[in-house]
Amino acid sequence: MIMNRRSLLTTALTLGAMKAFPGLSYAQARPLVFATFTGSWEEAHKAVLVPAFRKANADAAMVLDPMLSVDQIAKVNAAKANPPIDVMLHDPGPALVAIGQDLVEPYPVEKSAYYKDLIAEAQEPMGPAPFFQVVGLTYNPEAVKTPPTSWADLWKPEFKGRVGITNLNSTLGTGWLVEIAKMRGGSEANVDPGFKALEELKPNLAAVAANPGALATLFQQGQIDISPGNFNAIQILKARGVPVEFVAPKEGAIAFKTTIHIVKNSPNRELAFKLIEAALTPEVQTTLMNPPYLIVPTNSKVTMGGEIARVLAKDTAELKQKFVFQDWKKINEQRSAWIERFNREIKI
Amino acid sequence: MGAAPASRDVTSYGMGLAAPLALFFLLFFVAPLLQLLWLSLHNDTAGLHWGLGQYLHFLTDPFSLGVLGSTLLLGAEVTAVCLVLGFPIAWLYQRVGPKLQTIIILIVLLPLLTSVVVRTFAWIVILGRQGIINATLQSLGVIDTPLKLLYTQFGVVIALAQVQMPLMTLPLITALGRIDPNLDDASCSLGAGSWRTFFRIVLPLSLPGVIAGCTLTYAAAITAFITQSLVGGGQMLFMPMYLYQQASTLQNWPFAAAISIIFLLAVLAVVSVFTTLGRMSRGYGGA
Repeated sequence: MIMNRRSLLTTALTLGAMKAFPGLSYAQARPLVFATFTGSWEEAHKAVLVPAFRKANADAAMVLDPMLSVDQIAKVNAAKANPPIDVMLHDPGPALVAIGQDLVEPYPVEKSAYYKDLIAEAQEPMGPAPFFQVVGLTYNPEAVKTPPTSWADLWKPEFKGRVGITNLNSTLGTGWLVEIAKMRGGSEANVDPGFKALEELKPNLAAVAANPGALATLFQQGQIDISPGNFNAIQILKARGVPVEFVAPKEGAIAFKTTIHIVKNSPNRELAFKLIEAALTPEVQTTLMNPPYLIVPTNSKVTMGGEIARVLAKDTAELKQKFVFQDWKKINEQRSAWIERFNREIKI
Repeated sequence: MGAAPASRDVTSYGMGLAAPLALFFLLFFVAPLLQLLWLSLHNDTAGLHWGLGQYLHFLTDPFSLGVLGSTLLLGAEVTAVCLVLGFPIAWLYQRVGPKLQTIIILIVLLPLLTSVVVRTFAWIVILGRQGIINATLQSLGVIDTPLKLLYTQFGVVIALAQVQMPLMTLPLITALGRIDPNLDDASCSLGAGSWRTFFRIVLPLSLPGVIAGCTLTYAAAITAFITQSLVGGGQMLFMPMYLYQQASTLQNWPFAAAISIIFLLAVLAVVSVFTTLGRMSRGYGGA
């Protein structure tokens, strides 16, 4: 990406000035602001999505302002009439919060050239899903000789004191609990069986990490040998030489839609639409699917390849068959009660 | 500007010089704090209905009170460890030659020169199953299976004590440096033993440093979000993580605000206990 120091400084100064004097920002006065996530997301978007967008839109000015979903929501909420962000990126839980608080515009589906090519689960009228996050079983192949095949393997006596999980603060932790509940006859509305299963898992639990990132590092320390894990995070660890493998359990890998939204009252509505279109193109999704990013595509025109084809799915049909999508509307209704219950019950 | 009038009292200063900082604090500390208080006085997450519901919820819930209690206890444990380990270092510092003094001050300051995150990760490596402690004990044949050190209260206390140690040692070094060494000699020549000299002379006179060190360490230990969550893990809940969970994951800002205010008041209460002790100690030192 061509971004020299001067243009960066100008952008920074402009943004800074707009922060200090909100009256300055009238329509089109500022570049398009895309609030992506921090870390590997930011790297991937800076390297692939931004150049693709600028190439297709006559070098239109845009900046990445990486932050957590909650911060995006808080910032837009604080200035609803004149939001400092044009495009938001969300996990399923926060996406519903943003929609519920009336912070996003419906996606102009009829104008979109790529929306209809997305697989059905990714077609969200309030903001499509350009990427999937996939959660499956992660294990250390040096310690676990027979690869696990099912979530139920976590309860095997041989993993006594070797299992790691995260608490329910993360999408991963909450989604996993729901899946465990389903395995034992529960559902998004009834996670009781999941909590019972957690109780039985206690002898095996070596660690309850505060977040998925901290969970991944526990493999490096030999603190745990097996855990639920995020496909992307594991690939990053693996690339750095940590002995970890990812496997989709036979119950299905949990897929989270990462959705992208046009912020309501955005002064850059048209460019925001163009950026999202760029994220939906088969070209961008194909590049992001290849190493080092390994992000699961949602456009059915993308031919699956590499590690994703090997471990997850060879094509859209297999993907639909192997992925499990959850009803986050239901999950959000009770999530706070579950977090409270997890706080109280899970002490090891 | 001309010279100040000769009649002006040189020991008095105008408050004008403090105005920029005062303004800064007013804008970026007092105003947000008031906003927090305002937010905490609402019963619903949207912040439309006034009420004390959030406070009632916290103060009548044994679980929440337990989190507050364990956080305050954690602070006390860390402070005690820092005091017990830090005092001898500060005492030693006043009694060695300049070369050793440089080395001691370097060792004390070294932790401050690396980021808290780096120091905390180092502790994960030390306390882990294949970490330094477990590997050493296992090679010595003391234990067969690795001890669980990471994700325990013990681990958090030890890691926090190391991370916050400079905050205790530096005030102690200053306080002990102010004590006239002749007082020790006088006490000894009047027949007091070394322990008696320590408890009757050195300790009381160093109390201002002890109080300052304890206050700083305590405040830093209970609010150390990074170390608490990385070494303590996800199932050990302390106030900063509780607050984060409510605000960030659950979007329950009024309850998070109430937690902050309660936490703030609890910390203020503890700090004022320290200060009262300090005031009382002055009388003791003079006796």
